[in-house]
Amino acid sequence: MKNEKGKPKKEQNMESNSGLSRREFIVGTTAGVITLSLGDLLLPSLGKAATPQKGGKLVYAGSYKNSKHKSAKNAKHPYYGIEIRTKNTYNQLTWVDENLNVVPEVATAWEANDGQDVWEVTIRQDIQFHDGRPLTVEDVVASYNLHKDTKLGTSFAKKLVDKVEKIGADKVRFYLKTPNSEFAWNMAEYRQVIMPAAPLEEMGLSGIGSGPFKFAKVDVGRRVIYEANENYWGQGPYLDTLECVNLPGMDPLNGYLSGQFDVLASVDPSLIGQLQKTPKTVIDISVAGDQILMVLPKYEGSPFMDKRVRQALSLALDREGIIRIVYGGKAGWISNDSHMAATNEDFLPKKPIRDVEKAKQLLAEAGHPDGITLPTFYYAPYVPEITRVLSVAAESVKAAGITMNIEERPMAGYRKWRVEDKEKTRKHRFAMGPVGPRNPAMNLFRMARPEYNESGYWHPCAEGDTYIALYKKAMRTGDPMARRKIYHEMQRLLQEEVPAIFLTGRRETIAFRSNVHGLKAHPQHWSMRFMEVWKS
Amino acid sequence: MSEKSIISVLTSSPATTIGVLLVTIHLLSALLAPLYVPYGVTELAGPSMLAPGSPGHLLGTDVIGRDYLTRLVIGGRTSIFVAMLGALSAVVIGGLIGVSAAYIGGFYDDAIMRIVDTKLSIPGVLFVALCVVGFGRSIPVLTIVIAINYMPGALRIIRSQALTQVPLDYVKCARLRGESKLAVIIRELCPNVMEVVVVEFALRMSSAILAVSALSFLGLGISPPTPDWGLMVYEGIRQIYIAPWLVLLPAFLISTLVIGLNFATDGLANALGLDAARGLY
Amino acid sequence: MLTAVLRRIGLSLLILFFVSVLVFLATEVLPGDALDVFLTADDLLVMEPEQIEALRRDFGLDKPAIWRFIEWLSGAVTGDFGVTFIDKTPVSEVIWDPLLNSLLLGLVITIIAVPVALAIGSTTGYYRGRKPDAVVSSLAIIGYSIPDFVIGTLLIIFFAVWIPLFPALILVFADASVWELLKVSIMPAITVIIGHVAHLSRLLRAGFIEAMNCEFIERARLSGVPEKRIVFRHALPASVIPSLNSVALFIAGLLNGLIVIEKVFGYPGLGLQLIEAVDKREVHVVQAITLLGAVLVIGMNLLADLSIIILDPRVRSHKNE
Repeated sequence: MKNEKGKPKKEQNMESNSGLSRREFIVGTTAGVITLSLGDLLLPSLGKAATPQKGGKLVYAGSYKNSKHKSAKNAKHPYYGIEIRTKNTYNQLTWVDENLNVVPEVATAWEANDGQDVWEVTIRQDIQFHDGRPLTVEDVVASYNLHKDTKLGTSFAKKLVDKVEKIGADKVRFYLKTPNSEFAWNMAEYRQVIMPAAPLEEMGLSGIGSGPFKFAKVDVGRRVIYEANENYWGQGPYLDTLECVNLPGMDPLNGYLSGQFDVLASVDPSLIGQLQKTPKTVIDISVAGDQILMVLPKYEGSPFMDKRVRQALSLALDREGIIRIVYGGKAGWISNDSHMAATNEDFLPKKPIRDVEKAKQLLAEAGHPDGITLPTFYYAPYVPEITRVLSVAAESVKAAGITMNIEERPMAGYRKWRVEDKEKTRKHRFAMGPVGPRNPAMNLFRMARPEYNESGYWHPCAEGDTYIALYKKAMRTGDPMARRKIYHEMQRLLQEEVPAIFLTGRRETIAFRSNVHGLKAHPQHWSMRFMEVWKS
Repeated sequence: MSEKSIISVLTSSPATTIGVLLVTIHLLSALLAPLYVPYGVTELAGPSMLAPGSPGHLLGTDVIGRDYLTRLVIGGRTSIFVAMLGALSAVVIGGLIGVSAAYIGGFYDDAIMRIVDTKLSIPGVLFVALCVVGFGRSIPVLTIVIAINYMPGALRIIRSQALTQVPLDYVKCARLRGESKLAVIIRELCPNVMEVVVVEFALRMSSAILAVSALSFLGLGISPPTPDWGLMVYEGIRQIYIAPWLVLLPAFLISTLVIGLNFATDGLANALGLDAARGLY
Repeated sequence: MLTAVLRRIGLSLLILFFVSVLVFLATEVLPGDALDVFLTADDLLVMEPEQIEALRRDFGLDKPAIWRFIEWLSGAVTGDFGVTFIDKTPVSEVIWDPLLNSLLLGLVITIIAVPVALAIGSTTGYYRGRKPDAVVSSLAIIGYSIPDFVIGTLLIIFFAVWIPLFPALILVFADASVWELLKVSIMPAITVIIGHVAHLSRLLRAGFIEAMNCEFIERARLSGVPEKRIVFRHALPASVIPSLNSVALFIAGLLNGLIVIEKVFGYPGLGLQLIEAVDKREVHVVQAITLLGAVLVIGMNLLADLSIIILDPRVRSHKNE
């Protein structure tokens, strides 16, 4: 059991970056020259180092709708709440911070065995729930019994966790169904919160958690109002009231400009310039964010069966142009044809990024010397700038003779539409899907399911099997440096085979009033925390 | 048809003249568009984005650097095409069915009217939303959806007009002459409801243009990157504080075309002695 | 007359039935069902197909369409619109507050629009062909021709962002008090009114002109009755009957406008609920709302027709269609 101490410092070597300011860190990880003015990244905390003031109300416009949220009955339940930002009222065992490192929260330390499938986690002893009850190991066990329950639980825990047991006043042991060397990140999943122990059907309905805020009022489908938890075990909270407004597809810009909101999340990159010029407004751009994935369907008759066509398309896309034109050069990053985020330390950049001559040559080899017309590419407005990204992409591939027509579909029913009719044809459409940034294991897992035909990643082939075998090996490898070598190999495989194309990455951007402090943009929009936020 | 000449009808009042003028300008510019647009519609022409007017780009560029003049003009083509074809189909097919229902009467007439009432009881937006989500946002789908949406209303009006014609002598004479029912419908009745048909067509077309732009605004209409005025309004709203012309220009164009159509129709209906305002829903 | 009334009512019920069938069929064609919306991409990543099917059975989504339709219809006639698929909330609960909100908005619009339209309609009808008619009619047409989402957006910019009179986005709780709702309903109401009052005024103008052309008006004028009395005590009341149809159509046409406007402003009404239900594939909710809308439209038409049958001895049947 002694191979790995669950302390973040040793685990991932990320703390070496603590010397770098965030500004330098961002410049370091993007390809190309990007100049950032200090005004862009004014971190309030670096400024006056002022002391936080208590009090005040903050209203923020939420960015993502929880599809599981339907009614008032379970609106406080972590699975069915109006927003997936459960961190306001609940805590998880760990937290993934703005640099995608895992840090302790309810758990203080964690250790895995050699096989990476049994984990011992130490629990903090000083946490109280909103109703005054102390948070104990029994609560952790009960919560995870819910999360892994086949009927009532949540997908990741169901798949991963076999058994949970208490082994001491402050220790819990997890038995995993398959080895997972990065289980610590999984513990931070937004649904896997710690709730007071109760019968499984009732857990979570009361909304009682250990987070910095408590539920005050919920308006189904639209707003949640939180109030401060005075007995919070951690730092803060400084605000008296926190309000989240989740807008059903509406543009929050007017709300911000007219003073209704203090914070705008997931800002459209084309607004950044405008917002910068708005008085008393601060923009914060995080290091990473969602990617846009292009599914390349593979079946008899599809042009993407030929690897050279896939490679040609990947080489013909002008990714730098997309970042320059749509993201203003700052709010996006260049993908590497894998689910990895550029800020992951194990990220392997793709070289070359663009080579139109090579693309034409590959196409000619594949039997398309005069260019090729691809099937219609479908997309849905998951992120506000997607239309522009795809318009630029479609224009750019014309240089290599590729014609790609794009069509927008409504969000409603998009996923089913994209996957087509599994029983009849098993054909997946040439379409996009969003990819959220996570830890390398989770990122690379998404291509590792052998039967994962939902997005047509791998056609049965030896390379696919190799990839999956590499993944399983990485999951059994405790040493992060050894894992990195495996991850690099996997990414090289992906860049050679191109089972899917990752068009571009965006940087999660928020805008807020200059009297708001302590707020930081997070690549995972659901992991943003408000407990250190205060208003002057 | 009527004794007045077409020109005098079309210029019967200042409003009508303005209307006809506006419509003509719009139609001509849409028709001749391919001849004079300087750039391609998806062409990333400029190094500069959101630039105001300049010699190379008369109306500037949009947010990703496409020439705005080109998109405006082509956008008009798309909207006008869909609206015109949709309204035409609605009026022609609806008209034929309406006249036949008026003439044949009986159970056939009742059945048709019940179907019409059913369709009219469903809000148009919902109907379109369901169709678009089910069948996609292509231009053919939209045209068909618009046609189906306006057919019942047009059918009703034309049928009303036909009903006033059916009991008249010339119809009875035609039957007595031995003409088939179909011939009576097409050769006798249809020409005599033509005036209503024309007015209906113009009215439906103006509604259709508003409808298409509203749908594009809601995300249910024409798909990007094809330009469309409603879509351009939607895309430009975010930049309205720094580049208001992105919203105001397409909105202005939609409005002038619809105003033109409405003025022209008004004048036309007045000159023909019809009450243009009846049964617009 | 009783047979005519009964016949109309019977026809209306028949139409309602057709509407429910049509809407049900339409929603069946949509890709995906409520479960597909409920499951996230991450869920699909880790779930086996059998698990997904089991969930589908749990939610009752695997029953054949006919069955579901019959179940729903038999409930609907007693006022029970079924439950939502995902968490079994009664649909009537889900749509109750939005229904009231939309009714309020509709009421505000109607109360303002009808008198204004009547005034405009009778004025332009009275001065038919002369300058006031031309000017006012043209203004009305211009108001009608500008897309309502443009008007709405401009209003938001002028009166919410630049001059902070109203909220830019409507954030009231769905169960807010009438007073709060009234405050936020002003801008949506104005947007709809600018667009639709022109329409209504032209319809009322037609009715007024018809009334003014009647013989008894001419006779009254010849007898020396002052113009004012003719207009207010004879012509206006006489124009009510042909106008009933128009007002009914106007109210019915409001539904369409409300859906768009509620989306633009975020007003928590039935239109917004409808769009969301379509997105979430909550078929029962879509049907319930559509049925209510159809009831309103058919009801309005029925009222208009019945009042003409009852009030007007010379049933001008062919003009009622």
